[in-house]
Amino acid sequence: MTLFWKLTPKTLLCAAVGMLVSACGQATLPPGLVYCSEGNPESFNPQVVTSGTTIDATSHQLYSRLVNYDVEKGDITPGLATDWYISNDGLNYTFNLRHNVQFHHTDFFKPQRAFNADDVLFSFERIINKQHPYHFVSRTGYPFFQSIGFESLISSIEKVNEYQIVFKLNRKDASFLSNLATDFAIILSREYADQLLIEGEPEKIDLQPIGTGPFQLNQYVKNEFIRYTKNPQYWLGDIDIEHLVFDITPKSTSRLAKLITGDCSVSALPKAGELAIIDQHSHIKVDAKPGLNVAFWALNTQKPPLNNISVRRALAHAIDKQNILDVVYNDIAVEATGILPPTSWAYSNNLPANNYDPAKAKNLLDKAGVKDLVINLWAMPVARIYNPNALKTAELIQADLANVGVKVNIITYDWSIFTQKLVSEDYDSVLIGWNADNSDPDNFFTPLLSCSALESNNNRSKWCQKDFDHLLTLAQNTTNRADRKSYYQAAEAILSDQVPLIPIAHAEKVLLKRNNITSMQVRPYGGIAFAKIKHNAQQGNQ
Amino acid sequence: MPQIKIYKQDYISTPAGRVWKAFSHNPFALVGLWGVGFLLVLALLAPFIAPYGANEQNQQVLLLPPSWDPAGHVEYFLGTDDLGRDIFSRILHGVQMTFGMSLVIVSCALFFGFIIGAISGMMRGLKSSILGHLLDALLSIPSLLMAILVVAVIGPGLSNVFWAVGIAMVPQFIRTIHQAVHDELQKEYVTAARLDGANDLQILLYVIMPNVWEVLIIQVTMAISAAILDIAALGFLNLGAQAPSPEWGAMVAQGLDNLLLAPWTVTIPGVAILFSVLAVNLVGDGLRSAIAPIRK
Amino acid sequence: MWRYFFRRVNLFFATTLVMMAVLFYATHQFPVDESYALSGISNPSAEQLEHISDEFKLNSNSVVQFLAYVEQRFSGNMGMSINSQQPVFEELKTVLPASFELSLVAGLIALFLGVPIGVIAALSSNKFVQWSILGLTLTGYSIPVFWLGLTLSLWFGVNLGWLPISGQINLLYQIKPITGFMLIDTLLSDSSYRIPAFVDALMHLILPAITLAVLPFTLIVRITRQAMLQVMNQTYIRAAEARGLHTFTIIIKHALPNAMIPVLKSIGIMLGTFACYGIIVEVIFSWPGVGSWLVSGIYQRDYTVIQAGILSVSLLIIFLSILIEFIHTAINPMSKKELYATN
Repeated sequence: MTLFWKLTPKTLLCAAVGMLVSACGQATLPPGLVYCSEGNPESFNPQVVTSGTTIDATSHQLYSRLVNYDVEKGDITPGLATDWYISNDGLNYTFNLRHNVQFHHTDFFKPQRAFNADDVLFSFERIINKQHPYHFVSRTGYPFFQSIGFESLISSIEKVNEYQIVFKLNRKDASFLSNLATDFAIILSREYADQLLIEGEPEKIDLQPIGTGPFQLNQYVKNEFIRYTKNPQYWLGDIDIEHLVFDITPKSTSRLAKLITGDCSVSALPKAGELAIIDQHSHIKVDAKPGLNVAFWALNTQKPPLNNISVRRALAHAIDKQNILDVVYNDIAVEATGILPPTSWAYSNNLPANNYDPAKAKNLLDKAGVKDLVINLWAMPVARIYNPNALKTAELIQADLANVGVKVNIITYDWSIFTQKLVSEDYDSVLIGWNADNSDPDNFFTPLLSCSALESNNNRSKWCQKDFDHLLTLAQNTTNRADRKSYYQAAEAILSDQVPLIPIAHAEKVLLKRNNITSMQVRPYGGIAFAKIKHNAQQGNQ
Repeated sequence: MPQIKIYKQDYISTPAGRVWKAFSHNPFALVGLWGVGFLLVLALLAPFIAPYGANEQNQQVLLLPPSWDPAGHVEYFLGTDDLGRDIFSRILHGVQMTFGMSLVIVSCALFFGFIIGAISGMMRGLKSSILGHLLDALLSIPSLLMAILVVAVIGPGLSNVFWAVGIAMVPQFIRTIHQAVHDELQKEYVTAARLDGANDLQILLYVIMPNVWEVLIIQVTMAISAAILDIAALGFLNLGAQAPSPEWGAMVAQGLDNLLLAPWTVTIPGVAILFSVLAVNLVGDGLRSAIAPIRK
Repeated sequence: MWRYFFRRVNLFFATTLVMMAVLFYATHQFPVDESYALSGISNPSAEQLEHISDEFKLNSNSVVQFLAYVEQRFSGNMGMSINSQQPVFEELKTVLPASFELSLVAGLIALFLGVPIGVIAALSSNKFVQWSILGLTLTGYSIPVFWLGLTLSLWFGVNLGWLPISGQINLLYQIKPITGFMLIDTLLSDSSYRIPAFVDALMHLILPAITLAVLPFTLIVRITRQAMLQVMNQTYIRAAEARGLHTFTIIIKHALPNAMIPVLKSIGIMLGTFACYGIIVEVIFSWPGVGSWLVSGIYQRDYTVIQAGILSVSLLIIFLSILIEFIHTAINPMSKKELYATN
């Protein structure tokens, strides 16, 4: 066998298999781009999920939003709404809608009309109106919207005419526009929904999606790939990519290997250590940007023993975050003291953090009279932007806690099962995180730790505190940045004191791509977008 | 009955002695035997020999290459993994899990297989044929599928490996023993013993058994090597031993994250598996060729 | 002969039934609701529930339930995949051909390399050749397949960059499934890139096929060697030699056909292990076959997929091993004699 290896240079191999092709290795691939993604989307509608995998596969590919975020300026820019104005009391938002925006033409749906106010009305009514025929079509609810209390925020949505719509709010909310610009607030087709109702298959709206985005769904094979083709009538103009394929590759090593062998051109979520390998391959580039995210260890505050605040404080002192940063993140993250990352404008670096102090942890446990503590720790099996390797993190925590006499059982499931079981089962603690959808600091607090987030199961600590919630409401009611910043600082202080979760790190957002991919920007928040990508003709790779 | 040597005569060795003689003339088989012996010693003594604990992390030495590499360190003979755990120590601790577990599984499977196989082998007619069909069905479920079924029912874990591999292995033993006993039963010397008035149990224990143990030993060696591979494969697929267990297959799976950066985290446990399976197979092969001429 | 044939068919059905019983029992042990494990429909409505209970006769005793279970499964009702909410049967139809393709190619590689090497090993009097072949086969037999696959993909895929290591084809090639065999489908497709697509599919096939071929290859070498050694000592070979036939003719015409009989038998015995190895190889190389489908099914606790995967793979093994046994008996004059002697 070894002899065979040596005797087989590339040319010989090609000669053996490639008698049919004249120029071996110059395989002419069809125009398109393969993205190595990390998992199966749960649905094709981002309204009904919070998982980043689903967002990546849907939000910016299939759909458009009323308003968008400008990555560079951090400003709200027009999307399907060309302009908007806010009433003086801050309660009425009037949007003027874009004309001649076409929904996807597919085999199963031929739109008869362009996008208009009915579609906007439908997309949001579905979320807030429990009587709406589509409200309960989603079995998972609308976690993001529930967690920010969207239902109670909106008093009504009114259609003024075909191309104008008004959102009436019950209270002032400084983060309202930001929330409309998130990856979740996408616009569906009312016409398609009506057609599905007649056909009696309303659940298809989330499985066979129709949107106004740059790509339309062609084929999805679970565990294998998602195939998109370009939307020829995309309202923002022509797109460079003919075909877009998401190659579902859960293993990070496989993703990197595929990138090296050329089976994919862009790849997500590398493990920290793998960046060293990329240096050896000149045809692969690393794109990294500080991300708006946080990885944390959520402690179930409703279940003994973690309902005991001294136990939670002890755990916060027991884990060596710097160590986790070294081992799991290498140098692509900063240690988290609170849940706001340093890139957020509301961040302040003089927070009272719970430092690493095992002696103090032991002391606290002794004082609380807790002995032989056993807790289970749920860890995701997949890499996420905020944590490239939760299982490794869990093993480190396991070792740290063993030092203070706490036994940890690590529990893990496949990602889609994991998120389901998180809702249905009684865990002690879970290693998870949050990738911001917009640059508003509220995005880190309300969807994660407010009482309304408790209902949507997005509050992984199952923690609800009145003072904390009050601070968040105060912060929402004002547009003054200095005031808001001080409210969020106060909220951070509560978190640090009450320890419903232990923040671990803020990771950089890293994307790997081959050299021929240009003008692809890493967005610090939200999902990946391929519409603007350019790539030079591929050649010479197999 | 004491052996009284009245006449000077050539010593005729026992069948076992002859097998040993043939076996020990085969250098490969002897190497295999030493290997197996070595593994057995390690399985017993590993916790005392290993310089570090299986899950002892040292963040100062992450992904250290093996000691023969210029960047390596002799204190971490086979290098360290991405949590700074000493791979050499983990391999040693893993002997108990992968190799030791295979011995336990095979002994249990042998015990049950022997009882059922011997009873069914002594039976005749319909009952025997029903059992045959049942065994064929169970045999047709490969161990990995059986493991998947077991995991689906009770969830992953090292104890499930025991059930999965064990359940898949028992039918093989039953079948081998059934077949061997059945074949011997047809032979005339058994009839002779029967005519002497021996009952079924006596026939099984004193007449048939001495003639089937060779088959059994070959089956056992084959089963051990298969069990090691199965345990490791299940560990690799995350259906068996779970991280941070130092089971060799699970170690390969844990090293997979660093395959490109630190290939030794995958290579070394793989070599350990290869070594132990090879040792067992060498012994099995040696036994087979040592026994073959006698059986002819 | 017919009698023997019917006995084998009978055996096939009996084994299948036992197999189904095991699966039926296991299905009821799954830690989820019975109707969920059977149908895969999560949160079924009242009428769906009634429909499921009607189909699987959930209100009757377990014997009736078992018969209903067998009936449903064999009429193609495998339920819905819990994870994708697609009919499992449809998914099965897409993954099975991919597995066949891989196993067939691996089997052919093993056969076409294994038999000649086995013959060489048997005929060579050179100790070195014998030992190296024996050593090679023993190593091949002992090597953990997942490790071999990883090592090969590390070398040929990543370090040397010669071969792709994952999947069946570059996903940019959009090939319409006709036969399900990627190699054939690429050639059948009417797109402009069918030749490059074929080459790409072939390149993707090389590493998994070689990895999977190692086990059958080593077994075939060993058994061919043993059988050849035995056959070459037979008197009819000496008779052929005495007639002055060329050694090559003797080997091809006289010895090999007889030596192939035990090889056939060993292939039948090996099927189960081969299937296990196939599953692992598919997982390592992300081959979209029934193995990786089944393994991701267990990761995602997709109980209907688990049942269908185990059922189909086991049935295939039962069927193929009985078929091989039958062919073995049919072409082997020795066992024919035995057959009529015992009957």
